[in-house]
Amino acid sequence: MNKNFLRDLPELVRAQVISDDTAQKITAYYNNKPSTSNSRLFIVFGILGALLVGMGIVLIIAHNWDTLPRTAKLVIGFVPLFIGQAVCGYLILKGSDSKSWREGCATFLFFAVAISISIVSQVYNIEGNFGQFLLLWMALAIPIVYVLRSSMASLLFICGITWHACEVAYFNSQGYAVWYWVLLIAILPFYYHEFFRRHNKNNFFYFHSWFLTTSVTVCLGVFIDNHGELLMIAYLSLFSAFVILSELNAFATTRVLSNAYLVVGSLGIMVLLLTLSFDWYWNELSGTSFEGIASGAEFPVAASLSCVAGVLLFILLRTTHFTDVNSKSFAFILFIVLFFIGLNSPTAAQLLVNVIILVFAVNTIRRGARQNHLGILNYGLLIITALILCRFFDTDFSFVIRGLLFIAVGVGFFGANFYMIQQRKKTE
Amino acid sequence: MKKFTTALFLAMCLFQWFVPAKMIYDSEMVVRDGTPYKFKTQPVDPSDPFRGKYVTLNFEANAVTLADSADWVPGEEVYVVFTTDSAGFATAESLHREKPSSGPYLKTTVNYISSNEPFMVFFELPFDRFYLEESKASQAEQVYWTSQRDSTQVTYGLVSIGTGTAILKDLMINDTSIVEIINRLNAEDE
Repeated sequence: MNKNFLRDLPELVRAQVISDDTAQKITAYYNNKPSTSNSRLFIVFGILGALLVGMGIVLIIAHNWDTLPRTAKLVIGFVPLFIGQAVCGYLILKGSDSKSWREGCATFLFFAVAISISIVSQVYNIEGNFGQFLLLWMALAIPIVYVLRSSMASLLFICGITWHACEVAYFNSQGYAVWYWVLLIAILPFYYHEFFRRHNKNNFFYFHSWFLTTSVTVCLGVFIDNHGELLMIAYLSLFSAFVILSELNAFATTRVLSNAYLVVGSLGIMVLLLTLSFDWYWNELSGTSFEGIASGAEFPVAASLSCVAGVLLFILLRTTHFTDVNSKSFAFILFIVLFFIGLNSPTAAQLLVNVIILVFAVNTIRRGARQNHLGILNYGLLIITALILCRFFDTDFSFVIRGLLFIAVGVGFFGANFYMIQQRKKTE
Repeated sequence: MKKFTTALFLAMCLFQWFVPAKMIYDSEMVVRDGTPYKFKTQPVDPSDPFRGKYVTLNFEANAVTLADSADWVPGEEVYVVFTTDSAGFATAESLHREKPSSGPYLKTTVNYISSNEPFMVFFELPFDRFYLEESKASQAEQVYWTSQRDSTQVTYGLVSIGTGTAILKDLMINDTSIVEIINRLNAEDE
């Protein structure tokens, strides 16, 4: 990019936009400036190298060399841990600030820990399902994140605990994966210190945001017990909290699509609401007593997440005007009201879900038009299309009406985009 | 700051060595001082992405018959004392809520309880994996099923039980290690 810019300098001098002297100063500045793209490449290749080597050794160890005596197997299994710790120790003692070395070594050490506990389990046939193995690995690996201040180790850690929760709760039905939540809380200080306190919104920040939002979304389902209906409140509160966070300055990003909180939160809300626009959920809910539902394990989860979303909304409304807030931030409040309506009159609740989706869609289109953002505008139109598609399957509308609705939305798509592009041309 | 990081790093290294070393020490103690038992079993062959191929063992001695259910509940911690039957294989003798005064005994959890009399209390046997070299795990299963056609052949896990923990030392078919049988078969094929 710098080189392209320097290529334009003679033209700028000829056009007398800048003086010859300024052009020389600019050239000298960029020639002396250390290249950030090179160091970024070193970090990527350092991590990739360590990741591949670490995983390669894991697979070699997993072969189980039964011709080797027990002691030899154990010694070989601990060599990667020794090497990893030795190199990391050298970096710390030397006070090295090289991010590429730190990330690469931390990644290798992360896998070396897995190798050491794998070999012991293998040699002694130590019982323990895969979930327990992952838990032990993550517990031994979390200090790497803090000691080496490694973002890659932190990302691997988030993947590891998510895998652990899935193994424990989904694949083996062994409870609520309590350790997942403990370890998730344990990683949050790093996330805060590395990215928020230092105001450091690099690529690792985006990756962390994506990994954390996805991980929590996947793992919240572990709380499903006998009253899955309440988990819908928990999920809508979680997604609303994500949308609210994306509105806060600390979580704001330059591009809409790079904001994991906004994308996961908004898509989550819309997918759930579209699912709720069918009758199956409300049919299951109707006739059940709230006291019965509240006795389930889902109730405290749903209640605490709703409180968290409520507090976040309160904080947001202190700095932002009600009308400027993303309407999906209120999804959890609306749904809690619908939930209580649905206990007695499911049809009314189902109908109101359709109205809420429509309101959110119109608001999204308005927001897109106001921000002159074609992506947001089309997202709003897509929500309407999805709503019509859903009703395509479960309503008694005649084919003519459904056809006309689709034509209307199609025309809407074309018209709105055409209008926006024309507006942009005018302002240019 | 550097001193703090160095201290933290040293603590991390100690922690990362201590846990696997403790695993090794505990296992070695059971292997050395534990009482050996033979558990009749059936092997099947799954795989673990980190620890490699293994055979899962379904042991027969995983329950105790009681005249009284004694209000055992699934998931409850239990101490199991084993004995050997007339053929020399392990059978569970008694269940205890309190740690027995002397070993060998196994600390584990109750799986489930049959609802009819006499009450059968089923418990976990926490040594159900036998790791093998990757090409031998499926061979081990085949060898087992071949041996089953001959009713005189018997498959068992050789387990060493200490005070609370147990280590699966070997998987045997008629007093010969399954690894040895596979090695012999492979040598014959060559």
